Amino acid sequence: MTCWSARICTRWRRLAIALVIVAPSAIASAQQTQAPAPMNMADHRGALLGRVRNAQGAPVADTPVTAVNEENGAQFVSTTDAQGAYEFGALPMGKYTVSTASAGLVTFRRRGVDIAMDGKATLDIALDAKSAAEAAEGERQELLQKIASLEQRITDLETTAVLSEPETRVRRVEVYVDPTGQQHDEPVPGAKKEVTYLRERTYRRQTISEKIDAALEDAAKHQVTVGVDAAMATQFAARTRGETDPNNGAYALASADLFFTAGIAQNTLFFADIVGLSGAPPDSEIGTLTLINGYTARLVEQNSLNLREAWLRTEVFKNRLAITAGRLDLTNYFDANAFANDESTQFISDALVNNQMLGLAVNGVGAATEFDAKHGFRLKFGFQQSSPEPTSLGDSLFTLSEVGYTFTPFALPEGTYRVWFRTDNSEPDVIRKGVGLSFDQKLSPAVGLFARYGQQETDLGHDRFYSAGVSFQHGFILNPEDTWGVGYANMNLKTGEKENLIEGYYNLLLTEKLRLSFHLTGVIDTPEGGDKFGYIFPGIRFQAAF
Amino acid sequence: MLNRYLRITVAGTIVAAACAGAAVSLEAQGVKIADPTSVVMIVNRDSNDIAFMDIKTKKMVGSVFLGNNVNPHMVMMSPDGRYVVTGGTRANKAYIIDTKTLQLVKVIPTDIAPEHLAFSPDSRWYYQGNPDGDSISVIDMQSLSKIKTIPGFAEPLNVTFLPDGSKAYIGNYGAHWVGVVDVRRHELIKKIQIADVPGVAKLDPDKYLGEIHGINIAMPSPDGKYLYAADGTLGIVGVIDPREDKVIKHIRVGKDPWRIYMGHDGKYAITPNNGDETISIIDLKSNSVAATLEAGPNMTGVNFAAGKAFVISSTSGFVYVYDMNSLKPAGRIKMGTNIQLETATTDTKDEKLYLAESTNHEVIIIDAKTNGIERVRNVGLFPWGTHIMDSKDNYCH
Repeated sequence: MTCWSARICTRWRRLAIALVIVAPSAIASAQQTQAPAPMNMADHRGALLGRVRNAQGAPVADTPVTAVNEENGAQFVSTTDAQGAYEFGALPMGKYTVSTASAGLVTFRRRGVDIAMDGKATLDIALDAKSAAEAAEGERQELLQKIASLEQRITDLETTAVLSEPETRVRRVEVYVDPTGQQHDEPVPGAKKEVTYLRERTYRRQTISEKIDAALEDAAKHQVTVGVDAAMATQFAARTRGETDPNNGAYALASADLFFTAGIAQNTLFFADIVGLSGAPPDSEIGTLTLINGYTARLVEQNSLNLREAWLRTEVFKNRLAITAGRLDLTNYFDANAFANDESTQFISDALVNNQMLGLAVNGVGAATEFDAKHGFRLKFGFQQSSPEPTSLGDSLFTLSEVGYTFTPFALPEGTYRVWFRTDNSEPDVIRKGVGLSFDQKLSPAVGLFARYGQQETDLGHDRFYSAGVSFQHGFILNPEDTWGVGYANMNLKTGEKENLIEGYYNLLLTEKLRLSFHLTGVIDTPEGGDKFGYIFPGIRFQAAF
Repeated sequence: MLNRYLRITVAGTIVAAACAGAAVSLEAQGVKIADPTSVVMIVNRDSNDIAFMDIKTKKMVGSVFLGNNVNPHMVMMSPDGRYVVTGGTRANKAYIIDTKTLQLVKVIPTDIAPEHLAFSPDSRWYYQGNPDGDSISVIDMQSLSKIKTIPGFAEPLNVTFLPDGSKAYIGNYGAHWVGVVDVRRHELIKKIQIADVPGVAKLDPDKYLGEIHGINIAMPSPDGKYLYAADGTLGIVGVIDPREDKVIKHIRVGKDPWRIYMGHDGKYAITPNNGDETISIIDLKSNSVAATLEAGPNMTGVNFAAGKAFVISSTSGFVYVYDMNSLKPAGRIKMGTNIQLETATTDTKDEKLYLAESTNHEVIIIDAKTNGIERVRNVGLFPWGTHIMDSKDNYCH
């Protein structure tokens, strides 16, 4: 070989030396990897042979003899020949349980038969009563051992599985602390009662679903709840009397109410109601004295979002006194007639939703208190800003008081009777007053009557309003939760304006969250200084609430 | 005269000595409860025991520990007063306690999650409902062994026997039918459908397919002539004639009635309607709703005493009271704030209620006449229900 250069030659030389040094260890290493692994125990085998005889000593032919490795459960079977001989030529070494069975019953059983490497063990089997008894006892012992082992495993599982762990929770407790600072469970002289918190541990096993439900429930308590009440009310107008325009018309009003509720302290709730209205009700063109579509009552703007209400409510004195304060629709809390109070599920005409003599045009800042003794009597008082213009509450103060009583008169089902009184100082230098009565009385579980009466002061005298009707539920209906009703309202103002209104509706419950209702409203109005006119308004309301 | 006094003194001494001797003898025999009607049984879910409180002294007589994680649900004494039994919901076992000695005499495996139970009137059979196993375990109280498991139910909650013990009625909370069991054969022989599911059900899968609040119990009227079964999802009570095992009338009540409770005078029954937080008072003569009155949230029970109905509102901390003559609300009794009320039993004189309150581990005794309350604290962890032998208001959640 010719060296290309001294440098290259030097490199080859170094490589050769390295090879000489490394080669022996590499060869040794290779030898190590190529060396056969220590033999598996299964490769060390031994034989087992013997004869099976019956109680009389005669050979038992064609009987399977089973050998089960006690360490790993490996099972081997050999069958006896005509002389009753059996043989396991190559059993992996270890200890074996050898048995025979007849018609499902173990007739012989021997534990701990040792198979040694390259050995030849002999086990002659005598199938007599003694061997059968021994076999049965062996089976029993093994079964008991298995049961004990299973019980232990269950106990281990119970004590270590997550859902069986002791549950810890914190409890509020009253303790007594004496002047030396020692805490006692029971009162002792000189001790002061104090409240403290204590962790306690209980053994309660819960299923996974119970744990999940509890966690979800706990999470829900800390969340703001959102409710939706969306409705689409379509009404048609057909003139029945007079010459007023329009003659025929179709109107649709869509409403979406969003409710936000959150529990913020003990017995204290925050509530906000944002409503959006879009479209036009018949009232946008037809000048009836009361609103044909009650959705627009006390809402100033349409086609925009309105904050209808936002208030805090707290309950004190064992929850008997409820105080609500914030932006309110005070009429929600007064004259709450059970059968004619909700434009979203009952009558749609405002004359059959509210007492028109309550006389509140807008929502505003205010407060409502309700004392409910839970004996049937209720006392309510509230005040509210009655006009958005004045900055001082004293210049636009609307007050409302009510006394109500729920009872079961004359062996009838329950009825609620109430009387209210209101004042309003929104007009300069005058306090206008109004008074009203209202009742809802069930005649039977299916039929209920309602009526309202109200009057209010004006410069000319007293305006008057009344309404009455009948409502049906749980009877004369298509589906179990349907309701329907017929109502009449009359308004008579001192200015000469009058209105007679009649409405019938049927509210069909499609699902818990979906309702469809049909309305037919007829109205005859006498405007101030004008001619009478009349309309009928067939309509459909589709409502989703969840 | 002196002779007379002497005789009285001697007689008195003998009687006193005899009583003392008997007491000592009973004690020597390990007798802890000589009169089974003298105690209130309290089932403590989380301390896994049944506690016994003396009605007169309001002291704890003793308790029987059943084992960790047993979580007993309902306790009941056999009509003959010999045994007290409970189902260990998380142990899947029935526990039988000797009333006199308060010894746990037998533990019997049942099906999954045993909860409510009932005895046949002759005390022979103990039917243990297993809501998660959809079965009833039949336990023979003579041999203290389970002789059969009756399958085929749907979340069986409560069992009621006819007064003659011939049939048992099983409320299925996971279905709209009541099961009729022939007690001689211990076989489910009929399924009485309480009402049709309305046609609109298919539009409302959330309500009808999501979860069934079916029938909690078929409750016999006090005269034993009819059974009343409230169906939660359907909001109705079906009146069953047990002679033909047919529903003879439907009574529409409020939303999601939990179950029906019978007044003691046989005039009225009440369903607490958790769906709309009302109660419906049912006139048992006309089988119609006489009044629907405002109540509270999460109602778990109704007890009757002193002419009033006491309705337990579990999470509000109130018991609502109603005058059963005028059918008017008669106020509320505040039991506490941030507490959880469970169920109650009424004593046999209809004077006092024993209400389990689990948050503070106490039993609250309500005087039905005055509405006054008295607390017995530390009765065990999470007292879940109470029971008095022969009470007309022995029930569970």
